[in-house]
Amino acid sequence: MLLGTLIYGFVNSIILALVALGFSLTFGISGVANFAYGALYILAGFLSWLLFNSVGLPYILAAPFSVLLTAIAGALMYRFVLLRIRGMVLSEVIATFGIGLSTLELFKYLGFIGFEYTLPVFIDYSIDIGQVTIDMQRIFIVVIGIALAVFLWFFTHYTKTGLRFRGIAQDERTALSLGINSDRVGTLSVSFGAAYAAIAAIVILPLGTITVDHGYEVLINALAVCIVGGLGSTGGVVIASFLLGYAQTFTATYIESHWVMVVPLVAILAILVIKPSGLYGEQKELEERI
Amino acid sequence: MKKKLFLSILLLFLTPFIAFPGSFALAAEPIVIGVPTSLGFLEGKESLKAVEMAVDEINAKGGVMVGTVKRPFKIESIDIRDAAPGVPVPEALLGIEKIILEKKPVALVVGPFRSEALLAGMDIIAKYKMPMLGTIAMTPGSEAKIKKDPEKYKYVFRVSLNVIYWAKLLGGTMASLKNQFGFNKVYLMNQDILWARGTANAMKNRFFLKTGWEVLGHDQYPTGSSDFSSALMKAKSKGAGVLFTCFDMPESGVLVKQWKSMKVPALIAGFISPMAGEVAWKTFDGKIGGLMNAIFEIGNIPSEYYAPAKRFYDSYEKRYGKAIQSGHGPAPSYESVYILKEAIERAGSLDPDAIVAAIEKTDKMGVMGRIKFDEGHQVIYGNNPGQTATGCFFQWTKDGKRKIVYPKTLAEGEIVLPPWVKKVK
Repeated sequence: MLLGTLIYGFVNSIILALVALGFSLTFGISGVANFAYGALYILAGFLSWLLFNSVGLPYILAAPFSVLLTAIAGALMYRFVLLRIRGMVLSEVIATFGIGLSTLELFKYLGFIGFEYTLPVFIDYSIDIGQVTIDMQRIFIVVIGIALAVFLWFFTHYTKTGLRFRGIAQDERTALSLGINSDRVGTLSVSFGAAYAAIAAIVILPLGTITVDHGYEVLINALAVCIVGGLGSTGGVVIASFLLGYAQTFTATYIESHWVMVVPLVAILAILVIKPSGLYGEQKELEERI
Repeated sequence: MKKKLFLSILLLFLTPFIAFPGSFALAAEPIVIGVPTSLGFLEGKESLKAVEMAVDEINAKGGVMVGTVKRPFKIESIDIRDAAPGVPVPEALLGIEKIILEKKPVALVVGPFRSEALLAGMDIIAKYKMPMLGTIAMTPGSEAKIKKDPEKYKYVFRVSLNVIYWAKLLGGTMASLKNQFGFNKVYLMNQDILWARGTANAMKNRFFLKTGWEVLGHDQYPTGSSDFSSALMKAKSKGAGVLFTCFDMPESGVLVKQWKSMKVPALIAGFISPMAGEVAWKTFDGKIGGLMNAIFEIGNIPSEYYAPAKRFYDSYEKRYGKAIQSGHGPAPSYESVYILKEAIERAGSLDPDAIVAAIEKTDKMGVMGRIKFDEGHQVIYGNNPGQTATGCFFQWTKDGKRKIVYPKTLAEGEIVLPPWVKKVK
């Protein structure tokens, strides 16, 4: 039982990290808290479903194509909406939340209600680790989650675009004086965040069915992880994912599954009381001290 | 000459009325039926479609006879979102009050999903004296309120199953499983909402523990939960023969997939909403053969042995191009419109008290069996559609068909265990 809890807790942690990475990336670079994040996740899910089931594309093409389309949707959202209100935090939140809400409700309006919306698993097979049986899709989630986190680190440390990302994140004015186009970087950051949401959707949604309301849950989980880890901190996101992921799984196994959904909310409250900037929110902490 | 001219003009004037009587009944002031429910959920969406189907059928035949005038039905709907996670009951109640005040319906059908919203909403229904034929929320608490203060709460009826009848349906099926295969170890999993909690607790305390079953565990999941691995691991390690489930959220599809991927050698039997409709076979890649799921009202599934249920199911599919996918809601919602029509015609007026008195006297054969209400305004359920309203249990066959296996009167075959589940005796 303990081994099973550890294994499924690990998978749960990676799932949380996957859904939070994109949100954290966008916020860390452009300062935009993208409250349309859950909607982009669901958008990617439905796009894949449509491309696969209605258009008839093979899934191997439908999945990356939906990631691309979601990334474009993120970029368009920045260029046509967020750019005009950049820096006005409340307006950014209201705008992204409005876009997210209307996207999700549009799906409902268009009739995406029901249980038939499901994506295929990559390989329909289960393996045994000790006495614990686990499906290959969850193994893929772990592999892709780790790969995306590692890719993000390399990208932001060893590519020109990634270094521009970090430059804007560290000091936008100085970055501007060095010729870095902050609008372009902002667009790319929202687009990258949307692509991360889409990849998360492609690998996680085959575990169940695609439902519009799941978009809200994804947003809450991403927020919880980012607030606990420290907004904008990738390392913080990973640590917070493991804290919350294991807390949820141990709660379900050894206390009561009834309390699982309370765990992220309690964690948010606790971190706001103890360390408001989150575990690794260093910049904010400096601001707080000042 | 004048007389001839007068008769000619009169004939000219009356010709359209004689030729197209139905059309001119439709010109009369419509009777508004309100449908306040969670339209963003499959059960709500399909229930509304069933109501539309019944209304169109009635209007095509000229409408409802109110006294001496035939009047058409007209539907007004509102999404009260009470089934969505995190939506507080007061928000759902605002929706109910809004449709009553703005659309001036004569009666409401379908109604809230969540029993919490139904119980709280009963005071609003009473305040506006609004007859309501509910078809989703299942708490027997509403009947208790009606029995305690019938004058105030008499406007609320339930055309679908309540938790007590539901538990009887489940109990009968579980007893069959025990008798046939010797199962006596059960693990309970349910969504943490009033009806599902009530069902699971009632089954645990009043059935399983009293009929020689060993209850290995009981986990309750908040709406929106999407990981069931901990309960499945516990059920597997403790040797459960039956996984008793009670979920009406879309995310419960994850449970089925996890059950399959974790190779849990126990039979899922209960209610998981994504498993109810025929598309589930495709949704779950054809790997749910052997699973057993309840259907709250026949008509939501066709029955070989009760023709009205099949007729309704087929008509719905023909009209909308897609069969009913939900196990709860559409059949009683369709039935509700006919109950209301007949009650209005018997009452001869739209007075709510007269309509309520007429609904109380309902005794008709419908798509889900015989419809009669008890003193708590609950439709009476049993195992024979010729005598009462009826729900059923079906099993997915290995070739993707839904075969009714309980009750005996409707059974299209015996329960067959899937290969990975072994019988105990």
